[in-house]
Amino acid sequence: MTFSQQKRMSYYLFLAPGLLLFASIIIFPVFYSLSLSFTSFGGYGRPVFIGLENYARIIRDEVFLHSLRNNLLIVAISVFGQIPLGFLLAYLLYRRMVRHGSLYQTMIFLPITISPVVVALLWNQIFSSSGIVVAIVRKLSGQPQYVMKIFENKQWAIFPILCVLLWMHTGTYMVIFYANLQKMVPSLLEAAQIDGASESQMLGHIIFPHMVGTIATAAIFAISGSLKAFDLIYSMTGGGPAHFTEVIAIYMYINTFKYYKYGFGSAASMIIVLLAVGLILILQYITGKLEQRFE
Amino acid sequence: MKKPITITNILSNVLMMTFSLLTIIPLAWMILSAFKPHAHIVRHPLQPPMTWYMDNFILAWTQGHLGIYFVNSIVYSMTATVFTVLFALSSGYALSKFHYKSSRIISMFYMLGLLITVHSVIIPLFIMETNLGLANTRLGVILPYIAFGLPFQVFLSTTYIKGIPDAMQESAIIDGATFQEVFLKIIIPVATPIISTMFIYTFLGNWNEFILVLTLTSDLTVRSLPVGINSFAGGMSRDYGLQFAALVIGTVPMIIFYLIFKDKIAQGFASGAVKE
Repeated sequence: MTFSQQKRMSYYLFLAPGLLLFASIIIFPVFYSLSLSFTSFGGYGRPVFIGLENYARIIRDEVFLHSLRNNLLIVAISVFGQIPLGFLLAYLLYRRMVRHGSLYQTMIFLPITISPVVVALLWNQIFSSSGIVVAIVRKLSGQPQYVMKIFENKQWAIFPILCVLLWMHTGTYMVIFYANLQKMVPSLLEAAQIDGASESQMLGHIIFPHMVGTIATAAIFAISGSLKAFDLIYSMTGGGPAHFTEVIAIYMYINTFKYYKYGFGSAASMIIVLLAVGLILILQYITGKLEQRFE
Repeated sequence: MKKPITITNILSNVLMMTFSLLTIIPLAWMILSAFKPHAHIVRHPLQPPMTWYMDNFILAWTQGHLGIYFVNSIVYSMTATVFTVLFALSSGYALSKFHYKSSRIISMFYMLGLLITVHSVIIPLFIMETNLGLANTRLGVILPYIAFGLPFQVFLSTTYIKGIPDAMQESAIIDGATFQEVFLKIIIPVATPIISTMFIYTFLGNWNEFILVLTLTSDLTVRSLPVGINSFAGGMSRDYGLQFAALVIGTVPMIIFYLIFKDKIAQGFASGAVKE
């Protein structure tokens, strides 16, 4: 065997195990799922081709539309809640506005290690009639019989979940932004400070332009993460009561594994992928425009 | 130079303090409540425990089968993490140091994988595993765990190994070393810092994974801690003391893990969002 043959052999050997698993467990099933989404497959027998009917039925389904709305609210809370708050906290740490910064950082980043299931069940307890929130409201308002009714309201039931998501993920963005802020050349800020630049000028003209790329990447994570939101909501409410807190991933899960509508569920999962790709393309367009402005 | 205390300083401290307390109080409340009997939790939710009541933990561990789930979680997370990291390193080496045309395409392929979520493949995966007899087995959980860890870890290892100078490899090859030897004796030792980040980050993800185990297993004996806690604390037990104890058992090992490795975990998250 010549050297170049040997090199090529080693190349394929190094790649083979990973590619084999990746192709058979991720790539192939994506196409499998896509083809199932055009059928009325119910778990056994031959899949029957029904064209786009699953998709047509989904977009007319009121439960789906409410799930979509909930998903978009989750995207909104991550992009306009977790990211700005995370940035603000990272900025305060970076500019040394607080003492004991690393202690705060340790505490705020902590929820990242806790499984979403535990977070969900813990917050269920917190919101329950023997939880902290209710106990505090009872003490403050003097109404000993107060109970939380927010989960019974179709429009508002998702809001406690949004708060929990904010609680879970803000620290992650803080850490991401903090690490990238530290990669800035410190002399740039020092020079600006000597020239008499104000804090807001430095933020707007030096720090923000430097961070646009990181913020955009974080937003991509936030969007794709928000659209697949499942674990937390599944164990907190299961999508209930009466589908009030359902999101598309739960809609897909219930239809597939409870009602055995595999084809229909596959169509719902394809919609998640399409939405993620669509939102990310919009985001890249906006980022491109922003980066042009700062060039 | 001593900085004067300004309104901004005070506001910043208040904000940081609020966020920290919002994180710590629910967790502290959870841990304290786990030491209280059910009746005490329901009647006086804000009171600290009167004694260190341990029965909740013992009952949750035995009745809730948390011991089995715990062992399964360790088996799944460890095995899958070892293979993910190993395959990601060998792929990263091949993609960054062999300079073939196909490397670019394969890297792109893995990048696309970052956008594909478990939800978009869970239905076919369930059908495939059922047909192959892999559903409800440990292998049936471990294989998807390895695969889903790969895209991000391949990205991390490729970026890192690219930074190792080509000259190191070339001189070893001239001296007659094989590529396998270069990988084991040069690349892996030099890449140790990124390996520990990859390992810890992947382990954390696997430990907290939920939907794969929920869907692909139904037997108690092969379920993992998150799924087990969900069925025990979320549904089967109406005893709040047991529920809190189960949550504490699920959380405390991870808090310790976090306190030891928090810098590495942070590095894993931060390196994902670096703009190339």
